[in-house]
Amino acid sequence: MNLVRAELERLSARRFVQLMVVLLVLAFAVTAATTLAGSHKPSVSELNSARQQATEARQSMEATFRECLARQGGALPTEDGGMYLPADCSEIDPVLQDRLPIAADFLPGVFTFAEQAQPLLYFLIAFLVLFGFLVGASYIGADLTSGGVVNLLLWRPRRVTVLAAKLGTLLGTVLVLALLASVAYLATFWVIGQAAGLPGRLDGDFWRSLGAVHGRGLVLVLLASALGFAIATLGRHTSAALGAFAAYAVVWELGARLVLEIVDARKSDLFMLSSHIGAWLNGGARFYDERLCAGGPGLNCDSFYTITWGSSLLVLLVLAGGLTAAAFAVFRRRDLI
Amino acid sequence: MSAVIEIEGLRKTFRSLRSGRRVAVDGFDLLVEAGQVHGFLGPNGSGKTTTLRALLGLVRADSGRMTVLGEPSPELLPRVAGQVGAIVESPQFFGNFTGYRTLRLLARAGGVPVSRVDEVLELVGLHDRGDERVKGYSLGMKQRLAVASALLKDPRLLILDEPANGLDPAGIREMRDLMRSLAANGVTVLVSSHILGEIQLICDHVTIISRGRRVATGRVDEVLAGHDRHEFLVRVAEPERAVDLLHAAELTAVVDGGALVVSGVSDPTVVSRVLGEQGLWVGELTPLRPDLESVFLELTGAYEHSSVPRQVGDSSLPQGEAVIDLDRGVDA
Repeated sequence: MNLVRAELERLSARRFVQLMVVLLVLAFAVTAATTLAGSHKPSVSELNSARQQATEARQSMEATFRECLARQGGALPTEDGGMYLPADCSEIDPVLQDRLPIAADFLPGVFTFAEQAQPLLYFLIAFLVLFGFLVGASYIGADLTSGGVVNLLLWRPRRVTVLAAKLGTLLGTVLVLALLASVAYLATFWVIGQAAGLPGRLDGDFWRSLGAVHGRGLVLVLLASALGFAIATLGRHTSAALGAFAAYAVVWELGARLVLEIVDARKSDLFMLSSHIGAWLNGGARFYDERLCAGGPGLNCDSFYTITWGSSLLVLLVLAGGLTAAAFAVFRRRDLI
Repeated sequence: MSAVIEIEGLRKTFRSLRSGRRVAVDGFDLLVEAGQVHGFLGPNGSGKTTTLRALLGLVRADSGRMTVLGEPSPELLPRVAGQVGAIVESPQFFGNFTGYRTLRLLARAGGVPVSRVDEVLELVGLHDRGDERVKGYSLGMKQRLAVASALLKDPRLLILDEPANGLDPAGIREMRDLMRSLAANGVTVLVSSHILGEIQLICDHVTIISRGRRVATGRVDEVLAGHDRHEFLVRVAEPERAVDLLHAAELTAVVDGGALVVSGVSDPTVVSRVLGEQGLWVGELTPLRPDLESVFLELTGAYEHSSVPRQVGDSSLPQGEAVIDLDRGVDA
């Protein structure tokens, strides 16, 4: 416990951590300020007009779908009459759409919390993932380079305990900070929605969905922190983590993706970490691959494939867990010179 | 006396892709007994710091047996870590912290009462500068802070690697007094240093390492006596004639500057008698005792008149692998 308290003090005193927190607050303040400046409380007439437009848009979608079905059933001629109608009418089936037009879509300059909360949360999670990775890497990297770890080991010559205390402190701190930041962030935008925009439809489904994204985002932040910590421990320097990240992004996500395209590899997104991060964060992801249907997509062949959140979590856990375990195993036996 | 540090047959090899295999410590032995202030000497790259790091569990030894305060190290080092204060090379501290906060953090991590921080800052002369940031400290002040961190635990054993690094003459003297006072209070001190005069003044025992092996160990005065060539500096009016007279008396003498150096003399009265009998009166007859520096340079071959600069690690091994151990005799 003493060790954790001491580590907590060291972590919070790090200039880099303080700088990242300032950047977070700045990004937060700029986003909130621009949102506030660009939004206004809609008048009754604006609201009525928007509702009317949304109703019309939904009706138009229904009409188009019915027309498509009628043409498919042979009741209408096959000419499209200037209107695009897909061969598979389910593509435009309003019931199957992710979302239908709502009044908020027709209220320019009005911030609607229910509509914007999720994208805003994604931005925050992206920042916190970056924060966790960089802070995790620099926290142990700087300590290894400066001799701080050696100093500590002269006091507590238990390597695994010392490293575990550092990792635990890092994860705990990042988690608390991420929780506080996300609560403050969402609360601020909720207030903006109430005072200078629209709250939108904040029902149980909304909060459940937002909570799920938030929870998955926090897991991602913790995994990124552990990953940065583990790579910097293995490489003895903060730069090892940064280099590994840059190398992975360029060599694998860009280079290997290109090579996989050239060699006509199927389901290439399965091999990309970015796909798994997206799938985990969104609760699953569908990817299109025309190679899945040799004769072109048809009724018996689906050109889409899915990465479930479960398999993505497994990939992310194996990667972060494996590298963390390797970092502990190497640190336990390493010569500290 | 009980052994506080025992090292037997320590061997450590570093391997790297670039420079290959390098033996840093090669069957090294060290014995430090309770209450000693033990000097640990060796040229750069001779294996001093590697030995200390291995002893403190920072480097994994290839083979050998080590104990600290009776516990095998590094396996059971945590049992006695609370009684061992150590600095290895120049420790780096967090520049943004004040000296006080640095020590408070270590005290907290090690379960030491925070009240001890003020005591050790006072001991190392940093009491009035403890609230300044470490990044503003001079090298000597950082070294004092390092020593303070080692003293924080009120240790029974203090291991100091180059504690005088960066200290001014007054600081060196204060460090010497501090070590003496610690030793007087029963603290065993193992100190490595390049300042040989300091080691000679502070330490009662010494171990000299060269190319990873022990080349001498024992009480400082005995190590020095072991290298005493029984030489005397003699000043007379006619040095050239005096040399002839001494040679005739089967003594070895050479003219060095305006004086003579007579060696292999067990009784100096022989010199004055031989010269006096021929009417040459001796103006000065001074014994030339070896100091630790000359013994160190002789044992390690660290100083040779050569046009080629000596390289790190170019020190020598004892002839015939013999180790001068004045406590135990000579190990072949």
